[in-house]
Amino acid sequence: MRPAAAARHVRTASLAAATSLCCLRAPAAQTIGTIDIGVSTVRYDGFLPSSAASLTPTLTWARPGAAVTARGTYLRFESSRRSLQGLVAAALFTPPSLLPHRWRGELSLSAGGSSYAHFASFWHATAEARLHVVAAGRGAWIGGTWGRTSYGSVPRPVAVASVGVWARRSWTTVTASATRSIVGDTAYSDLGSTLHASRGRFEFDGSLAARVSSRGAGHGVYGEASTTLTLAERTALFISGGRYPTDPVSGTVAGRYASAGLRLRTAMPRPYAIRHPQLPSRSPASGDGEPGLTTRLEVQSGLDGTVRLVVYAPIAATVELAGDFTDWQPVSLRRVGEVMWEGALRIPSGVHRVNVRVDGGRWTAPAGTTRVTDEFGSEVGMVAVP
Amino acid sequence: MRPALTRTLLPLLAAIVVAGRTAAQQTDPRLERLDAATRAAVAALVDSARRALLPTEPLVQRALEGATKRASGEVIATAVRRLAADLGKARDALGSTASPAELNAGAAALRAGASPTILTQLRQARREPLTMPLAVLADLVASGVPVDSAAAAVLALAARARDADLVEFRRAVERDIALGAPPAAATAAAATAADVLVNAGARQQRPGRP
Repeated sequence: MRPAAAARHVRTASLAAATSLCCLRAPAAQTIGTIDIGVSTVRYDGFLPSSAASLTPTLTWARPGAAVTARGTYLRFESSRRSLQGLVAAALFTPPSLLPHRWRGELSLSAGGSSYAHFASFWHATAEARLHVVAAGRGAWIGGTWGRTSYGSVPRPVAVASVGVWARRSWTTVTASATRSIVGDTAYSDLGSTLHASRGRFEFDGSLAARVSSRGAGHGVYGEASTTLTLAERTALFISGGRYPTDPVSGTVAGRYASAGLRLRTAMPRPYAIRHPQLPSRSPASGDGEPGLTTRLEVQSGLDGTVRLVVYAPIAATVELAGDFTDWQPVSLRRVGEVMWEGALRIPSGVHRVNVRVDGGRWTAPAGTTRVTDEFGSEVGMVAVP
Repeated sequence: MRPALTRTLLPLLAAIVVAGRTAAQQTDPRLERLDAATRAAVAALVDSARRALLPTEPLVQRALEGATKRASGEVIATAVRRLAADLGKARDALGSTASPAELNAGAAALRAGASPTILTQLRQARREPLTMPLAVLADLVASGVPVDSAAAAVLALAARARDADLVEFRRAVERDIALGAPPAAATAAAATAADVLVNAGARQQRPGRP
């Protein structure tokens, strides 16, 4: 495959990622962007050691049951040669009602390309299906991958079978897996394990794997480790190192490395304490089938420590809110749209009780809160503020 | 020297103690919104809670809620008394180191139907603050999720999940319920999905890998 073609695949993958991330919108979705800026010393098998500077932007869009990740890496070696990599991967889980209890299906797609200087280029496109069985704190999966990959010649078929188990205790998650991969004439089997631990501002990842049988992809034992220290909401330091095997699917050449760098990220998405911004016909507060169309409250944590309270009231001249964070004194909300009213208050994390009234009428528990009977002959809405 | 010192310090200590008691017994000015009899009853309950080292702010807020809703004095006092009892039970279950926010969330969970045993198990399962797990537990139960199902799910997640993960979990349950899933099934499914999603993050690349 010619370099121009590889570059085109890289661009195509990047464009696909950007398009996917721009077009996907869902009420519960979160998008996180990071840029890793680092320096490394690396020695690819069969090559001399080299130092390199790297820039790795990553964009991840996720909502319950689906995730899309787009990542690019620009490497500049001390020889002034450059390497460019691009990848977009998406995973979609089956809805809970589709399979029996504890079983979930997962379909993931991955496409990417890479080029080194002007004489080595790869691209791949694969699809993987996994079947998960999950219990509290542990699970297992079986999966198969199919696709195509290319390294400077005609595309080769990819087929991978995998099984794995995982368990989680407190801050630690461990996995163990076995894979058998066939890429054209190349075939190899890997046994591997990973460890992930997260505590406070520290995050640790380690892996240990062995290529136990191989035809054309090398043998050996491999291990990597990385630690990330979060400095502030948008910054973190990382160090990593180890040895990884050749990956004929994505075109990675075996090598050993040590890296350190800085991770910059977009502000961590603050979850909505109350979710859907639309006006649904049912909600926990109207789960008995009542049309919850009178008022709806949405609580959003702001970055400055304030909490934004938004009330959707279709027909209203005034909207007031009272809760245990206002000393139960009515607070008038400001109209910001045809049916939208808002106010910003400092509300401590925890469980809070709140009521809303429209045009000076009776206090009601708005949709979007969990409605409970209060001790005073009416109802009150409960919200959890993170 | 010593008698002189004693003569000086004793009155000073006595004054401090008296001043402290007076300050403690001063009625919260926000309770002025209650009628005199109700105010006295609520102030007595607040003082009693303070002596028992329970948080008093939730009690004041409950009284103010009653005042805003124009409840009778008797109903307000009963509500405050019941909340004080719930706070005490929550403290017994969560331990004396529980924060006011944890106790308030624990009281809400107990009132929703969770058992003290569940609160104790949560305390043992999680080292970080329990406010959000308790809030989610109370929220789930109040939403119609059977206590056992809600407790099992929250207990399974509490040990490792961040507050944001718990809110996300609660969001998934709410969405599935809104789409028609039975609350218990929605809770189990969301907990399962949370597990799978955490595990399936196979797309993550190690930082700095060239």
